[in-house]
Amino acid sequence: MLRMKRKRNWIAVVGAVVAGGVFAGAVIAAQLDERGIPQDLEASLRSDPLVQVADIPADGGLGRRGVFVQQTSAGFLCLWDAPNASSRARQGGCNDTDDPFGGRELFLSLAYDGGPAVADVRDARLIGLASTEVPEVAVLMSDGSRRKVNLRKASIGDDSYQAFGYRFKSSDLRRGIAPTAVLALNDAGEEVDRQPTGFAG
Amino acid sequence: MKRLTLVLMLSLVFCASAWAGTTTYAGNSYWPAGNAASTSFGPGWYRNTFYKTASFDTTLTFIDNVSYSWHSTVRSWATFVETHWLSSAVKKAYCRANTTGPSWASCTANN
Repeated sequence: MLRMKRKRNWIAVVGAVVAGGVFAGAVIAAQLDERGIPQDLEASLRSDPLVQVADIPADGGLGRRGVFVQQTSAGFLCLWDAPNASSRARQGGCNDTDDPFGGRELFLSLAYDGGPAVADVRDARLIGLASTEVPEVAVLMSDGSRRKVNLRKASIGDDSYQAFGYRFKSSDLRRGIAPTAVLALNDAGEEVDRQPTGFAG
Repeated sequence: MKRLTLVLMLSLVFCASAWAGTTTYAGNSYWPAGNAASTSFGPGWYRNTFYKTASFDTTLTFIDNVSYSWHSTVRSWATFVETHWLSSAVKKAYCRANTTGPSWASCTANN
């Protein structure tokens, strides 16, 4: 009799531990998915509005695109390269709203089709945000030349930024002249940030 | 009957946290520079994401199984990076660390 009672108690303890574990797991699963991504980020990416802050001009047979900012309710600031605000064919990324530059001077995304060899790249585009304290952004090309990027003022919430969209010339890409790095320059023309593109220079 | 009900309830709890059509194909707490991963080849992949708990330089792309060319490639230091290739071509989703990633990061593809 006593043995039966101990067995029941043991089963009750194990059951309570299992139930506690399941409950804790369900609570965690409600906040983070299996990748560790906050679930409200996924939801906000689908529902929060995109605002266009710069253009990516058409070139040859390549259509015009836009640079869009999405301030999410999940606390992320996202920057997208897309044909329009509602397109699913978008590329880009997000940083925490409290640190939109991720500890750097530029928030950049480089998007391209074709490759990975430069001569096989059909279209390459650069989008980004710079703080208002960066007077110039330039692209360093593999032939040693620099291409100045036009900056456009952008107000996002209560904050001011400079936004840009840049499409690399297809004639350069065909000749194997590739963007090797993006530079943020100060008033004296000195580099304050350099982000490599991965194309050999 | 009670046992069956309990098993069903537990199954529902676990199933509720599942994300249909989403595959995490890489997840590491440390990413040495050059470390890469990919899914298997298939026609259904259309979205590729890289989530990082700290900023580092990464590349996301799709690779087709005919020319092995890259499509809708995006390179960024952002903590969440996303790209889409809306094509029925047979392809795989691919991600790579270009600099060392010091903390947890994962690559996920949707089909």
